[in-house]
Amino acid sequence: MAILNETARLEPRSTATAAARREAAPYMNPYLAGVGLGLVLLAAFVVMGRGLGASGAFSSLVAWLVSAVAPAHAQANEFYADYLGSGVGHPLKDWLVFEVLGVLVGGFLSGLLAGRVQRGVEKGPRISTRGRLTLAFTGGALMGIGAKLARGCTSGQALSGGAVLSAGSWAFMLMVFAGGYATAWFLRRQWQ
Amino acid sequence: MSAPFFKFGAFGDEASLVVAFAIGIGFGFFLERAGFGSARKLTDQFYLKDLAVLKVMFTAIVTAMLGIFYLSWMGFMDLSLVYFGSTYLVPQIVGGLILGVGFVVGGYCPGTSVVALATGKLDALVFLAGVTVGIFGFGEAWPAIAGFVNSTDLGPLTLPQAFGLRYGLVVFLVVVAALGAFKGAEAVERRMARREGAV
Amino acid sequence: MELSEITVHRMNPQIDPGLHVWGWEIPVYLFLGGLVAGMMILGGHLLVRGHGRRPQSVCHRLPALAIALLSLGMLALFLDLEHKRFVWRLYTTFEITSPMSWGAWILLLVYPALVAAFLVARGTLRPDLARRIGQLNMALGALLGIYTGILLSALGARPLWNSALLGPLFLLSGLSSAAALVHLLARDREEQTLFMKADNAFLATELVLLVLFFLGLVSSTRVHLEAARLFFGGPLTALFWVFVVGLGLVVPLVIQPLAVRHRVAHTAVAPLLVIAGGLALRFVIVYAGQMSHWR
Repeated sequence: MAILNETARLEPRSTATAAARREAAPYMNPYLAGVGLGLVLLAAFVVMGRGLGASGAFSSLVAWLVSAVAPAHAQANEFYADYLGSGVGHPLKDWLVFEVLGVLVGGFLSGLLAGRVQRGVEKGPRISTRGRLTLAFTGGALMGIGAKLARGCTSGQALSGGAVLSAGSWAFMLMVFAGGYATAWFLRRQWQ
Repeated sequence: MSAPFFKFGAFGDEASLVVAFAIGIGFGFFLERAGFGSARKLTDQFYLKDLAVLKVMFTAIVTAMLGIFYLSWMGFMDLSLVYFGSTYLVPQIVGGLILGVGFVVGGYCPGTSVVALATGKLDALVFLAGVTVGIFGFGEAWPAIAGFVNSTDLGPLTLPQAFGLRYGLVVFLVVVAALGAFKGAEAVERRMARREGAV
Repeated sequence: MELSEITVHRMNPQIDPGLHVWGWEIPVYLFLGGLVAGMMILGGHLLVRGHGRRPQSVCHRLPALAIALLSLGMLALFLDLEHKRFVWRLYTTFEITSPMSWGAWILLLVYPALVAAFLVARGTLRPDLARRIGQLNMALGALLGIYTGILLSALGARPLWNSALLGPLFLLSGLSSAAALVHLLARDREEQTLFMKADNAFLATELVLLVLFFLGLVSSTRVHLEAARLFFGGPLTALFWVFVVGLGLVVPLVIQPLAVRHRVAHTAVAPLLVIAGGLALRFVIVYAGQMSHWR
């Protein structure tokens, strides 16, 4: 995956192109982007009868990795077994895995067209790279646990469940904002 | 009734993966367009500087919700065939809180971190490694926590059912709430910008 | 369905050896053979155009790399052979109707041609000799590229491979992969642009050939139609449309023309996708062919 981040090393320095020198384009108007996102979500419902997702793809990945290392252990565990049995044959031949592959492509295309593809670590001015990466890993791990506990993440629960007016999804969404605002003050040095 | 197409047998499991890839491209494209490939843009939401997360998410939910409502009202889409997850109230509340904390600590959620990775952010790669390890920990702990994760099962509960209101009325109320939230968000952003300017 | 999953993903090591199918070796060999064929054509073209006189030209580095890659491919092929000790017997005969025999002899000519290109690309004294060797490389490269496809289409027992377009398709796929690789290796700016433009043309042609390939299958007999179904709802649908067509052809065809016109930054992503797509094509076609039967 990291191979996707290979950026303009091929360009001879002296003749950097207009695109390479160009400033990153401004982001899309949030309401417009929201309508676009909403239409993609609607398309998923109309074509597939299901919403979008993200964390599920990583559950499939984890289940597959565990089953590759310890097949009996994975089969004995209800959580892994669920992800191993769901796809079309191979555990990675799964709807969300292919959707996330598309997300990777769509994100790259949009970033490329806007001049926003650049390798680096994003962080606030007052934190070291090492500190940022440690927090990124910690946050990711929390995210993995929270998403499995809630049976979905911001995409699968909040966005998709929110659109079909699932009560649990709306409760979940409010709690995500609550958790975020409760923590923000303690971590202000990382971002601001 | 002809939608959802997949449920009516328009194509099979194999082709659905191609559809997944195409839909994913659209999803990733608009996430990046909105600026959600940037952890600082995302976390600005929690410092009230830039409420794009709220605006984009709410607009997307309203757009899709109205579309679903309209298409099922027209008789084009059979809503009973759309996947609808059950509500497990307490685990979802606890999971939401942990996710919110993780959002501010890590800077992304799983979907946005994929977009960030696609545009070259190495912290997103580390974040995704964390997600994978977190899910692995959850999986290993499954026998111990399964009881809690499956607790407070309220079944496939909709907001209209929960509050005893009509579907159309809830849709209307969500739209009103969204418009109110947008107005509030613009006001908060203006105030924060003024305060920044004063400092 | 279940059985084909096992062959595609090689999930079951207990069953796999008993299936007597071509594993990873043949697709890898066909891919590397096609890639080298493309490199010979493109490198030969540079020699003909007199790029041998430019010290920066990528044509100086191509022949050695091609020899290495071809040898890797031959190793993969050798690993697949049932009777490794009798491989030399291929060279005791020449069967005019056997593509295997043709291939063996083409490969025997390819090595000296590449060595000649390697030697002449360094020397600047003999421009006319360089041109001759360039032409020889181009001709042999075209033969090698087509042979990698004919090898499959000559196996009449497999309806999917039963198409005269398989040769040109594999040749074009080899050319597109090679153009992507040469673009990545090139340091000369003119050559970089040239090969990215060429790659776009190859990819577009490849896409047209794929369409014709399927049109040929669906307009043929019922078994051919069944074979085509492997890609239209059958077990190879997702792999083929997402990896070969989506990631390997369409996405690069979106990115590269923009990069040529400097509308987007140059990255290695699109060329790497093209190369990976070429490999995926060989895997999908080889596996699909083995799944298709006369019934």
